[in-house]
Amino acid sequence: MSEWQTYAERRWAGKRVQRLEDPAMLTGATRYVTDIALPRMLELAFVRSHAPNARIVSIDLESPLAVEGVHAVLGPADLADVQPTVDIVHLDAALKTPRFTLPGDRVRYVGEPVAAVLARDRYAAEDGADAVTVELEPLDDAEPIHDDIPDGRYFHQMATHGEVDAAFARAAHTIRRRLHAQRVVTAPMETCGIVADYDAATGELTCYLSTQQPHLARAALAAAVGLPVSDVRIICPAMGGGFGGKEVVLPEYLCAAVAAIRLHRPVRWVEDRSEALTAGAHGKETEAELEAALDADGRILAMRSRFLSDTGAYSSGIGAYVEFMVGAFTVPGLYDLGGYAYDTGGVVTHKAPISPFRGVGMTTSQTLREVLLDDAARTLGVDRMELRRRNMVADGPWRTVLGEEYEPGSWRTAFERALELIDYEGFLVHQAAAREHKARPPRLLGIGVSPFVEAAGIGSAGGAGGLPGGSHDNATVAIDLSGHITVALPTFSHGQGHRTTAAQLVADMFGVAPEDVRVIDGDTARTPFGMGTFGSRSGVFIAGTVNAAGVRVRDKLLRVAEILLEAAHEDLELVDGAVGVRGVPDRRIRLAALAGAAHFAPHVRAELGDPTLTATAFFDPPRPTHSNGTIAATVEVDPDTGAVAIERIVVVEDCGTMVNPMIVEGQIRGGVAQGIGLALLERYVYDESGQPQTTTLAEYLVPRATDLPPIEIEHIETPSENGTGGIKGMAEGPASATPAALACAVLDAIAPYGDEIDALPLRPETIAHALAGAGR
Amino acid sequence: MKPCAFEYLAPETLEEAIAALGEYGDEASVLAGGQSLVPMMNLRIAAPAKLIDIMRIPGLRAIRRDDGWTELGAGVRMAQAERDGTSPLLTAALRHVGHAAIRNAGTVCGSVAHADPAAEVPAVLLALDGEVVLDSVRGRRVVAADDFFRSYFTTAREPDELVVAIRLPASQRRVAFLEVTPRLGGSTGEFATVAVAATADLDADHRRFARVSLAFAGVAQRAIRARDAETLLAGAEPTPDVIAAAAERAAAAVDPPADVHAHPDYRRRLIMALTRRALEELASP
Amino acid sequence: MTAISVTVNGVAHEQDVPPRLLLADLLRDRLGLTGTKIGCAMGACGACTVLLDGEPVRACLMFAVQADGRSVRTVEDLAAPDGGLDPLQAALQAHHGLQCGYCTPGMLMAITPLLDSGRPLDAETVREAIAGNLCRCTGYETIVEAVVEASRP
Repeated sequence: MSEWQTYAERRWAGKRVQRLEDPAMLTGATRYVTDIALPRMLELAFVRSHAPNARIVSIDLESPLAVEGVHAVLGPADLADVQPTVDIVHLDAALKTPRFTLPGDRVRYVGEPVAAVLARDRYAAEDGADAVTVELEPLDDAEPIHDDIPDGRYFHQMATHGEVDAAFARAAHTIRRRLHAQRVVTAPMETCGIVADYDAATGELTCYLSTQQPHLARAALAAAVGLPVSDVRIICPAMGGGFGGKEVVLPEYLCAAVAAIRLHRPVRWVEDRSEALTAGAHGKETEAELEAALDADGRILAMRSRFLSDTGAYSSGIGAYVEFMVGAFTVPGLYDLGGYAYDTGGVVTHKAPISPFRGVGMTTSQTLREVLLDDAARTLGVDRMELRRRNMVADGPWRTVLGEEYEPGSWRTAFERALELIDYEGFLVHQAAAREHKARPPRLLGIGVSPFVEAAGIGSAGGAGGLPGGSHDNATVAIDLSGHITVALPTFSHGQGHRTTAAQLVADMFGVAPEDVRVIDGDTARTPFGMGTFGSRSGVFIAGTVNAAGVRVRDKLLRVAEILLEAAHEDLELVDGAVGVRGVPDRRIRLAALAGAAHFAPHVRAELGDPTLTATAFFDPPRPTHSNGTIAATVEVDPDTGAVAIERIVVVEDCGTMVNPMIVEGQIRGGVAQGIGLALLERYVYDESGQPQTTTLAEYLVPRATDLPPIEIEHIETPSENGTGGIKGMAEGPASATPAALACAVLDAIAPYGDEIDALPLRPETIAHALAGAGR
Repeated sequence: MKPCAFEYLAPETLEEAIAALGEYGDEASVLAGGQSLVPMMNLRIAAPAKLIDIMRIPGLRAIRRDDGWTELGAGVRMAQAERDGTSPLLTAALRHVGHAAIRNAGTVCGSVAHADPAAEVPAVLLALDGEVVLDSVRGRRVVAADDFFRSYFTTAREPDELVVAIRLPASQRRVAFLEVTPRLGGSTGEFATVAVAATADLDADHRRFARVSLAFAGVAQRAIRARDAETLLAGAEPTPDVIAAAAERAAAAVDPPADVHAHPDYRRRLIMALTRRALEELASP
Repeated sequence: MTAISVTVNGVAHEQDVPPRLLLADLLRDRLGLTGTKIGCAMGACGACTVLLDGEPVRACLMFAVQADGRSVRTVEDLAAPDGGLDPLQAALQAHHGLQCGYCTPGMLMAITPLLDSGRPLDAETVREAIAGNLCRCTGYETIVEAVVEASRP
């Protein structure tokens, strides 16, 4: 455990401090990218393909210029200098699909941008876009989407760990399940957007960009448009949700940047909801299969998995790999497997490219595995929880069959506690009574339980087999001449309250109040390099980098105080914005005075060496953190309509030491809500000809307030051994375990009538169909 | 998602509105609440050259009761009708239409004129044997609901006609409105997968159905009455067998569309379930 | 262009607008009141909810010309002039009823009229009332708790 030193007591960390971000958000003052308007700004609208697979014969770029309000039109030729986007994975076996900003030769999915119109406002830009005629010649679907990838399979990896074939050979039972994890859309309330502003006088490009990774976006944009990185600035004042979909650098951003550079006017593109649903951040679509070999007592001897993700038309973003890689790697979970073999990969198809989406890979592996375990229990005639107990690892550190080292957690404790809270035994009695035909018709009640573990805060040593995403994170802590503390973060909040949690940590370090700490994120000019926010990493990296930098600043501060107060280090205390001598109330110096002395008092400066009370520090955890928990859900299924009502959802969560339990609970609730959407409501549909069918929020069903039950939460705190301050990354575990628990619960509810459902979401129609098949 | 340009007219009398419609005919769309029209315009699915805003015409915003009928003018907002409560069936159905903010702006007559086959209000009008009042430079006419709805978003309204009101017969009938949506646990949603608007008169002893009307939304190209089922129910005792038979007849009478939300078989299953539940509700003491 | 007169947050504005200008864009682009957001442009998400003559409506489904002679209230009008949060806003903060904040203005405007009656609200009523406002972050529960609390004296 790294040193987490505070002189003051833990006054703020661990408390439900109300968020500093909130007043601005509540009064409508917070500005998101779409709210930024610059003088002389042009608005950008795209012309998008109506066909999923066609050769571009011609694009009429002249007609729109005659439309009132249109200023310019960009076609593929105008963007030929822009470097194509290629994924940044280091996997030898990966076949690349470089993506040009505007494809000149062919379109590969409905909604692919083919031309851009710039106008005085979005109304005129869309008028201009309507005037662009794109002549397309449909291509044969048998033709490869990318010439270099004849069968569309751009990546395939197989591996075997431990004893697998022999285990299956001697197994008393072999259980097999498959799962079609549906295509979904991240659908944050704020769609994507960019305002690109090029200063011709200085050659600097500033982009207001709704992005989860400002520094990475900066590097990618700079490389694409041919500018030095230091001439590019990314600013995001606030982001209205990301969930993974704003990790990628979209060709639309590149288009806006190039337009700004060429036209010498700011350019804004705001993705409208129609674009977002048609061609925006899709996620998750994967065909998965799982087999388990069990002995006569229900001990799992080995498992085999297959994952094949439908990545969409390009594999040039990180989303093209994480889904099936993380899916394959997270199958073992909290279960002790003697052997595990996986076969995983992705194909390109005529659909929108997928992005990472919260619970990436895990929603699929978790759901499939827990459903299989329930199936196994039924086959063996063993209670479903008892089967889990026979296979779950004991609380404490664990090395998985894949060689992953889990730090200590409360795996079993959380599981048993969740069963207590949901009253599992009592529910079984209740369920049995409801199934008897005393009530006409019988009530279909079901219960599902899913323990989960989530690795987060992965350092550069621990990247998942060639995938980027390790740590290159730094934070800067500084005390200015007014004695005010600022902290610049490597992460970027899109609703997770980083401003508040970071302020709580810094407040404790320096004996001030959180509202006295200025937290800066989302601006590449004001923050050191960081990898941004994704994969539940922020808690770990904020704590780690801020601690590393803050300790250095605090040490300097105390050194100044030692000199000025002529006191020993161990007699000093940081309280209420000043440093004082313990027990001597009138010997105190305020931070401003200490900062002034550091800068301007020659004798102090000579001692310090560096007169600025600032430090930038890097943090790279040698090992990731592992949070865990269990989600239990009870449901009732309407036997006529197949509609699912969720009765209760219980979450037991252990994310180590919590900085702000209120924020942790918010993440849990939000993750559970998305899990409910995934399990029961959300699906993105293409018809056989590649045309999207779910292009508005009336067809794509994001959970509403009336869809969600109250969510009961209880915490366990097993401090992390790897995360500074005992903090573990969290927020994707609940999102992954919720569809697993709900799938198990629904299948349990209809178990007397069969359980052949193998696709998400569990729509009323699908459930009704299963019931009808059994004669209900 | 910004609309195409259009010319905006805001007549302040019915005569002006009708005259404008007469002149511009199918170049023009009527703008009342806009909750159906404006989404289509934002998506550029609809791009009328002219919009005739009828909400500045005072007389159209009234709910009038006369002679055994309730008349809701073209300017009556759904929220207003919901609060008014004269028609329990309409009030019950309106709860399911969109969301509160949509109902504050959208109009009852607008839903009728739009004739979305999955919409609730047309089914209510049909179940109550209501009427649609149309006006044009050629004069006023009244069309029975069943004659008004033709097909998907298609009605008997001529391009130069304005729906000025709908009329609901006042009645003491028992009513039931049930809707299934893709949402969870029976919560209301954006639209109906299937909905039933039902009314029943019981005989003097309250033991038999005297007359039943069953109107469905979401099962065909337009809202429809399940007349076969109604015939079976007329004069029948509401036993489980009778109800089940009526439900089967209602499902057998339609060939529901397949769409992204439901397969025809599922819609038929819902028709059976909703018919059964509606009749049980109507028959209960 | 059509000349309109609309009162927004108590201030009368005279504007010349093209008929197709949406009320949401009048508020955001012409009047700089960017608190109101456009989330879907078809009424499904509620992010654009404002009060029109005191009642919640979708500003993305209204043309500015339709607001001629009427009064609009947006999220910017809720807090006191010195920035002090109103009881509903304070309750949302206390209960962590917002995360990314994007749906929040629309939520506030959808909820505000509910509190006018002074009657305490139960959770189910509140859930129904906010069913038209999508939130992707919070799971709604803390919003419901906040409103229930704000409805009590």
